[in-house]
Amino acid sequence: MRFLGLGVVWRRRLPRVLELSESSPAVLLSGSVAFRALPPSSAWTPSLVWDLRSYSTETQPQLTTGIIKIMEQRMVAIEQRSAYLHERVNQPEATTAEYSTANKELQQLEDTMELIRDLRAKQKEIDGLKSLLVECPEDKDMQHMATEEMSAAREEEKRLQLLLLKSLLPKDDADEKDCILEVRAGTGGEEASLFAMDIFKMYEKFSQKKGWQFDVVEIMVSDLKGYKEASAAISGPGAYGLLKFESGVHRVQRVPVTEKSGRIHTSAVSVAILPQASAVDVQVRNEDLKIDTYRSGGSGGQHANTTNSAVRITHLPSGLTVSIQDERSQHMNKSKALKVLYARLYELERSRQHASRSKLRAQQIGSGDRSERIRTYNFPQGRVTDHRVGITVHSIAEVLEGESLEALINALLLQEEMDAIASFTSGSSL
Amino acid sequence: MVVSRIPPPAASLLRRPPSHRLSRFSSAAVSPSATPPPTPETFSSRRRRWETPLFLRPLTHSASRDDLKAFHSWASSLVLSAAAAASRPPHPSDPEPAHLLRELRWLLQDASTESFDPHQLFSSSSSSAAAAISPVPLRAELGELYGIWRERVEERRPLQYLVGCEHWRDMVLVVREGVLIPRPETEAVVDMVAEVAVTAAAEGEGGGPWADLGTGSGALAVGIARVLGDGKGGKVYATDVSSDAIEVAKINVQRYGLEDKVEIRQGSWFQPLGDLDGKLAGLVSNPPYIPSRHLPGLQPEVSGHEPWLALDGGEDGLDHLLHLCNGSSSALRPGGFFVFETNGDDQSEFIADFVTTKCRGCFNGVKIVPDFSGIGRFVTGFRR
Repeated sequence: MRFLGLGVVWRRRLPRVLELSESSPAVLLSGSVAFRALPPSSAWTPSLVWDLRSYSTETQPQLTTGIIKIMEQRMVAIEQRSAYLHERVNQPEATTAEYSTANKELQQLEDTMELIRDLRAKQKEIDGLKSLLVECPEDKDMQHMATEEMSAAREEEKRLQLLLLKSLLPKDDADEKDCILEVRAGTGGEEASLFAMDIFKMYEKFSQKKGWQFDVVEIMVSDLKGYKEASAAISGPGAYGLLKFESGVHRVQRVPVTEKSGRIHTSAVSVAILPQASAVDVQVRNEDLKIDTYRSGGSGGQHANTTNSAVRITHLPSGLTVSIQDERSQHMNKSKALKVLYARLYELERSRQHASRSKLRAQQIGSGDRSERIRTYNFPQGRVTDHRVGITVHSIAEVLEGESLEALINALLLQEEMDAIASFTSGSSL
Repeated sequence: MVVSRIPPPAASLLRRPPSHRLSRFSSAAVSPSATPPPTPETFSSRRRRWETPLFLRPLTHSASRDDLKAFHSWASSLVLSAAAAASRPPHPSDPEPAHLLRELRWLLQDASTESFDPHQLFSSSSSSAAAAISPVPLRAELGELYGIWRERVEERRPLQYLVGCEHWRDMVLVVREGVLIPRPETEAVVDMVAEVAVTAAAEGEGGGPWADLGTGSGALAVGIARVLGDGKGGKVYATDVSSDAIEVAKINVQRYGLEDKVEIRQGSWFQPLGDLDGKLAGLVSNPPYIPSRHLPGLQPEVSGHEPWLALDGGEDGLDHLLHLCNGSSSALRPGGFFVFETNGDDQSEFIADFVTTKCRGCFNGVKIVPDFSGIGRFVTGFRR
């Protein structure tokens, strides 16, 4: 997550609906965009006010006293926890298990602790400068120097506070991972399959733009050569973190190629993005897996020359099965099947964890409700609307070429950040 | 039953209607008493031996999308009509139409570029107009592709020989007539070697030379050399009696930059490795293990095109395996590891038993390891 360049002011009142016209100087997204702040569900949710003059990449969210107070509480809690863990680690009677768990948690807290230490030091420096200013009001040079140093220190304090806020916000460990893309044609028959293919290609082009590797796993073709189902493994740092918002139902409104009367149809395509996982992430042992290959009925080995090296892997504890057949060697089929299996197992585990989250967190963006209708592609009007952030992009062709997708994703990231800050301030840390 | 054919000029193959006639090779059911015919050495295959494999040739040709579309349609219908016209019930290892169509896709990818998707030829949707018109770069004339596909479907010539490569594990190995096409089952041998090497390294037992006996295309030699990286073993020695094998193995060793790691010596089994007697840290082999009388009845791709020298294991299929067992006790150093691929359950049990009892106290940890089809495919063990 990163702080995106917008001025955010926290208000405890009903939000305003804000519409920007094309000629406004500070438009978030390239091209012509209309923005509407969504009506929130709780009184605490911030409204977004555009700081039109100061829009730049350096603009940061403002830290209100509310946020700072909560941060202070958290800082103290972390400092206390860290001290406690240090003590445990230094106990001579600690067992190796206790030692390693305590040490592990210490390591996780270390980055935040470092920021806290820096921040405390800076705040001490500011206190020192304050008393200096009070003590010598007549010394003009001293006043001047102290004031300058004070403003520099304040800047630094603010910077540290923002970094600290960022480190305290709930993070998804999976954001850095590679992901698996699954596209499935929903209602709409052939037309849905054709659009599923368009969407799949859109992600392929987007991946190429980002320099990610796009590795087709499987494609099930429909009669008119659309895709009934298609999946791919997308590899690149942070791929999941950017694509995770694509999970959900994408709706398309257009005249199908099969339609003779020129009537507009609405069809749907569902997209799922799963983070890739390693065997360690999902704690799978070799004994848990059963691997089957295609048996020609003959004796195999030197007897047969077959190009069919399909592999089916069953995860015995959960019953999950994955089969991959289109790679040219059995080894590659197997390795792809494992990749997909681990991703599915990881997703199972994550949705279990999701279910136990607070209600607030569950409502937030990216909560992974696959059946949520997230976007509409309206061809006759030439626009794509994302319903979660209420953003419309007026160039379908660009979106399908993978171009404007980045803009939508940035807006979604911003919303996620806002949601995270909201749960931070509401005291819910999950 | 030696058939010699002069390949027809490529041009006349263009757009010929699919033939319903199947070659005599694929339809003949040879009676058990007939003497096995020698591996057919056609003029065309001998000539092809010296050509660059298709997948390595430069993209100096091209064809229009329409022409490729026509080729694809013709090729698909050839598959379906051959399946329909088959004069005998399908052999269990006959390729299914769906698999042949997938091979067709791979042929087109090897003949052009990896990213080429024949599906694009038929899709009518939003791809940009420019891409739809531009010709597709190819490594051979389209006419040659017609000939190649006809050979695949009608003569059951293995795809791997036609494109000149086999994808095996995470590698692409050059193969051609005269060497056995590496089998998917054999991929597991490399994993077993990796495991042994890791354990040995962890226990502080250093490297040492390994050997791949009967290396064929060099698949195992190159495969194990890659897992026995620096610090996990010395060189890998690959032996084979066949000159074809020596030549192709050398190519694959070069392709993977392993000239310093893998040494290829021509000769029979242990014979070229006299200087390493008693010193090998491990040896692997996928020796010919098919009983001689089964050879004629094999799937046509195998019996009609692959070298019988790499398949024939003598009367019970055990001749070479027994020779390897006998030689291993002196070739391996104490603690040395061996893995042999066999014809399956019965042979594995026989060999495992033989190895345990024949030289009392020679070997320990003898195991039968199954392949993914559940057949007891490999015998492994350690020299005491």
